Amino acid sequence: MDFFNKVRNSASWTLRASAVLALWVSGQAHALPSYARQTGMDCAACHVGGYGPQLTPAGVRFKIGGYTDSDGQEGKVPLSGMVVGSWSHTKTDQNPPPEGAKANNNFKMDEASVFLAGRLTQNVGSFVQATYDGVAKRSALDHADVRYAKALELGGKDSILGVSINNNPGVQDPFSTMPVWGFPYLASPVASGMGDAASLINGGLEHRVTGVSGYAFYDNSWYGELGTYRSLSSSMQVHLGQGPVADTNQKLGGNAYWRLGWFKDQKTQAFHLGLFGWNAKLQDDKTTTNPSNKYRDLGVDGSYQFLGTRQHVATLNGSYIRERKTDGGTQETAKINESRLNASYHYDQTWGASVGLFSTKAQDDTGSDAGTRGHLLQVDWTPWGKENSTAPAPFSAANLRLGAQYWAYGKFNGDSAQAKNHNTVYLFAWTSF
Amino acid sequence: MRLFPSPHRMALHLAGLLLVPAASMAQSVGDVQKGSALFATHCAECHSMKEGKHKKGPSLFLTLGTHAGQQAGFSYSDAMKASGWTWDADILSKYIANPKAALPGGKMKYDGLASVAERNDLIAYLSAPRK
Repeated sequence: MDFFNKVRNSASWTLRASAVLALWVSGQAHALPSYARQTGMDCAACHVGGYGPQLTPAGVRFKIGGYTDSDGQEGKVPLSGMVVGSWSHTKTDQNPPPEGAKANNNFKMDEASVFLAGRLTQNVGSFVQATYDGVAKRSALDHADVRYAKALELGGKDSILGVSINNNPGVQDPFSTMPVWGFPYLASPVASGMGDAASLINGGLEHRVTGVSGYAFYDNSWYGELGTYRSLSSSMQVHLGQGPVADTNQKLGGNAYWRLGWFKDQKTQAFHLGLFGWNAKLQDDKTTTNPSNKYRDLGVDGSYQFLGTRQHVATLNGSYIRERKTDGGTQETAKINESRLNASYHYDQTWGASVGLFSTKAQDDTGSDAGTRGHLLQVDWTPWGKENSTAPAPFSAANLRLGAQYWAYGKFNGDSAQAKNHNTVYLFAWTSF
Repeated sequence: MRLFPSPHRMALHLAGLLLVPAASMAQSVGDVQKGSALFATHCAECHSMKEGKHKKGPSLFLTLGTHAGQQAGFSYSDAMKASGWTWDADILSKYIANPKAALPGGKMKYDGLASVAERNDLIAYLSAPRK
């Protein structure tokens, strides 16, 4: 058995594949009317296309500012809800069927979430999500980010200093290019997604860790962040809905999460360039004496937004992550390279079309590749979430997105010949209130 | 039913009448259509042109001629309430050019619109007749 197969069969890969699947199941979908109520601003002010999670410059500033900005009115309740329903069709029936689903043509209530999201004090705000997974039929703590932020002048420049306590490396990031918040913002919970192989920073330990990071945003342009994480105890993971005890045995050792970014908001357009990384030691099974594996994740990302008068909004996002994993026992190495490129256009903050290219190369020292590559197209309609079109009273802060995706694969988990069988049509209705 | 407006409201109306020439001047030198586009780009995330609709910033419906910091239902900074300003084209232009310098202690998080021509266009739009 070669090294890569050993790796694939390890508990680490099982967990990481589960985590990737869970990412799709739990969704990446977050558009929060509680923030709109708090600020008095429309969804479209902070989100491209009038619906989350892709952030406009106003949304970037709101997040960096600790979710605390408001219209000054008291009595806003920082609670929101979200429900996603869908229909998924794959080119050929899935054998065996996904857990909790039929072999094909699945109607599902993907998820239902409640959020504690908004200003808690003058300087403390939150984004905490609890999700009922409609496929696995269980509830769990989803993304959580509680932060303190303080605006001040540094060297005569407007700046923000902050601290985030969160449960997923990257969930605190203000740019929409890292895996946690990258396109697509929603995907079928019962189809193939982007394959099993994924870097550690791509959801490998999401919701199973807790960490703290400090950040600075200088002159509305320069962003820097440094943090570290530790594994939640097995009992805490079980308590928070992260699965059976057998899935909670990983133990994170010394690690450092870091992020650098340069951001420019010119009102009619905005862009950012960044670097990020996570260096970590991870023991697959803490009940054994097996040594920890070493992970070196390094990413580069960038985005461009044409905003104009907001009637025509176009975006381009890209990221590349390179992971080098060194086995603690054999000292053999494995590499993962993840590339993502996506573009979108929205008319009148209502009608949208997006295209995304994804490629994951997962190679061991023999050159075997268990990666996945393909592209996806999305069209969507968001009728509300802007000043001249809101949901009927008394739900005026609610929002809705209806959309369709088509996923096409050139390779899936290392297999090119059968990859097309995973091609997927996904229709969704996504509402938040 | 109130037959006569309150002294405060009457003062507002008088101020508005006196300031019409200033507003008209801005209108005459600015391009309303360009101002509309500038408003959408620079202002609309935080301000509405609808009467009484406050976002993070107050409604800008018929701003010119009114006293600064006085709209009901909006939480102004102490600095704005104490400014004593009555919005005319000159004050508005100065404020939009650099809000933090024009009103230390104010709440508006906006870096400013440097171009005089663009400010004239924006003020022309803000002072254009509304329904």
